[in-house]
Amino acid sequence: MGKDECKTMLDALNKVTACFRHLVIALGSTSDSQNLREELKKTRKKAQELAVANRTKLTALLKDKNISKDDRAEYERLWVLFTSSMELLDVDMKRSLEIGQDFPLKVPTRHLIQTGMTGSTTTVSARAMSVQNMKYEADANIDTVDLKELETEIAQVDQMMEEMEMKVQVAPWAVEAKQEAGAELKSTVSVGNSSVGVISICEEEPKETVEGETGLMKVFAGIIFTAVLLIAGILGYLVINL
Amino acid sequence: ALCQCTDSNDPITRPRVENVVLEMQDPKTGVKSQTQRLVITTIPHAITGEDIVAWIANRFKIDAAEARAMGTMMVAFGYIYPLQDHKRLILKPDTSLYRFQTPYFWPAQQWLVEDTDYAIYLAKRNIRKKGMLELYEQEQYNNLYKWMNHKWDFIVMQAKEQYRAGKERKKPDRVVFDCQERAYWVVHRPPPGTVSAMDYGHDRMVDPNMEEKKTPDYYRRIIMFTQQCIMRPRVKSSVSIGALIKYTTTYKEHDPFLHTCFPSSPWITDDVTYWTLNMPNVETPTKMRVERWTFSFGELLMDPRGRADFRLFLKKEFSGENLAFWEACEDLKWGAAETMKEKAQQIYKTFLARGAPRWINIDGKTMDITVKGLAHPHRYVLDAAQTHIYMLMKKDSYGRYLKSPVFKETQKKAVAPEPHRFTETQLEQNAKRRRPSLSPIILRQQEEEQKAKLAASGPVDITQVMSKLERKQKN
Repeated sequence: MGKDECKTMLDALNKVTACFRHLVIALGSTSDSQNLREELKKTRKKAQELAVANRTKLTALLKDKNISKDDRAEYERLWVLFTSSMELLDVDMKRSLEIGQDFPLKVPTRHLIQTGMTGSTTTVSARAMSVQNMKYEADANIDTVDLKELETEIAQVDQMMEEMEMKVQVAPWAVEAKQEAGAELKSTVSVGNSSVGVISICEEEPKETVEGETGLMKVFAGIIFTAVLLIAGILGYLVINL
Repeated sequence: ALCQCTDSNDPITRPRVENVVLEMQDPKTGVKSQTQRLVITTIPHAITGEDIVAWIANRFKIDAAEARAMGTMMVAFGYIYPLQDHKRLILKPDTSLYRFQTPYFWPAQQWLVEDTDYAIYLAKRNIRKKGMLELYEQEQYNNLYKWMNHKWDFIVMQAKEQYRAGKERKKPDRVVFDCQERAYWVVHRPPPGTVSAMDYGHDRMVDPNMEEKKTPDYYRRIIMFTQQCIMRPRVKSSVSIGALIKYTTTYKEHDPFLHTCFPSSPWITDDVTYWTLNMPNVETPTKMRVERWTFSFGELLMDPRGRADFRLFLKKEFSGENLAFWEACEDLKWGAAETMKEKAQQIYKTFLARGAPRWINIDGKTMDITVKGLAHPHRYVLDAAQTHIYMLMKKDSYGRYLKSPVFKETQKKAVAPEPHRFTETQLEQNAKRRRPSLSPIILRQQEEEQKAKLAASGPVDITQVMSKLERKQKN
């Protein structure tokens, strides 16, 4: 049962790490805002909570000397998943500090980079926090105040990772992956039709408009065909009835 | 009016190009931006190449060509990325569209580009393209799967989560994010045919911009360095500059960096004819190569093909023992330590002893030193004799070689290849067909085979010819 608990907690940490990365990528761009800074702060705190919970659970499991070899191999695999997540989180936190310092929000001469991204990231952070909607309640100067906290948090995370390395003796290279190459292709939610049309625009440019347009043409042709069928059906019905 | 970040304690100061990018964002004085119209959506903040060039030229008061070069540098490093033709990282001064890259994806020395991130990116791309990755991407993916296998579960998990998180954003932002990520990886893992600005060689152990603390150790080092500088032997600048000028005038047409090389430089056109024509043991050398043999004796000896030609000439003159001795000495100097003693003894027996089969003519003093040294042989025991023979060959045989029929024959047969004229599409094809060159293991094997062949065609009995040479030297 410990294994399943661990897995769910790791999945949660994994989700928060992925969302955090998306948020950090929006920093400094035209998507940046007070709300983004607050989202980063909240997501960070959640990530740290999950990290501490995961660490206590996994270290407890690994310290137990009475587990079978298979169990131990599995726990080591989970440990590698955990440390890799933490490494990503650590790097992203440090980068968010640097970019946050470089792009203060209140200075009028400081312009955000016009990256083409203009929408908000509230849905991403809602996903990370596992809530329906995000509530924003921070002060106006969160962009400078939060940075001090961030520095201390980074120091905490660094210390935690050092302790982890010292106390837990797991050789990461000895772990064998359960997934094979291309495993990500299975069991992913299939992409909806509309998003396929838009995302494929970022692909081979010479064909970009052509791909989009042939897609549209196909949709139009389909509509016309069904309309013709309907009309033929109605006419036939009328003919039979008359 | 540039604003520096005042609360950054980072000793590595921000690169100035980032300040330029920040200036370009100003809504009044920056680069004009327009909207990119795609099939269903419109995305703002697209800039044209010509606007970028005009802005840079105006800001720094430089001409259009230099502004274009500077803009290309910004694109090559990944501060700006092209929206069309994304694999070619150049700035086209026309209406082609570009966009600024988000600060997270800016190049920075302190943030290493991790293979883990690249693996996650490839996995995400695999999901989006439903398994149809490009050839080079597929190769990279397979490689990463092999050597990052222990992290692969994490990579798959993280890729799926990042993909799902990405879908939470609105459509235009999703398109922009995909383009940004793709542009980042084109810069840092360039596809075949893309010139990367990121090849910078080895990482330095010390950061050159960091101020060094003035400890006693530091001053001790500086003192030692200055003392050694004073002790260095000095040459008159007229002499050294004269030598430099002579060298550059002789070699200026032979340097492939400073002069076009024929048929074409493989680094530019991805066509390896130049290298195949200049292989170490090619049958017919190129005209440029043969010309280099006339510059100095050292050039002739260092080129394997030139040495082979010289050996042929000496064989015809029955004085091959000098070159053979010289080569044996080189073999002793550079060879393995365990066979050294036997090699030295063999050389003595073959070349130096009284009545040896291939006796070489060195003066009495050198012979004395060499024989004494051979009592306790080491790598450089035959150095004096080797230098003597080298000078002998240089002053005597080299001159005759350059006038000989062997050399004239080689000169006549030498090839002068026509320069290539590739079209754009041919260049792209060449880039796609790029493959690693011959493995050094195979080249070494070929060298060994050559050496074995030479050894097998044993030495000629030349004791009679020795007396002929002595008579020639007396005259």
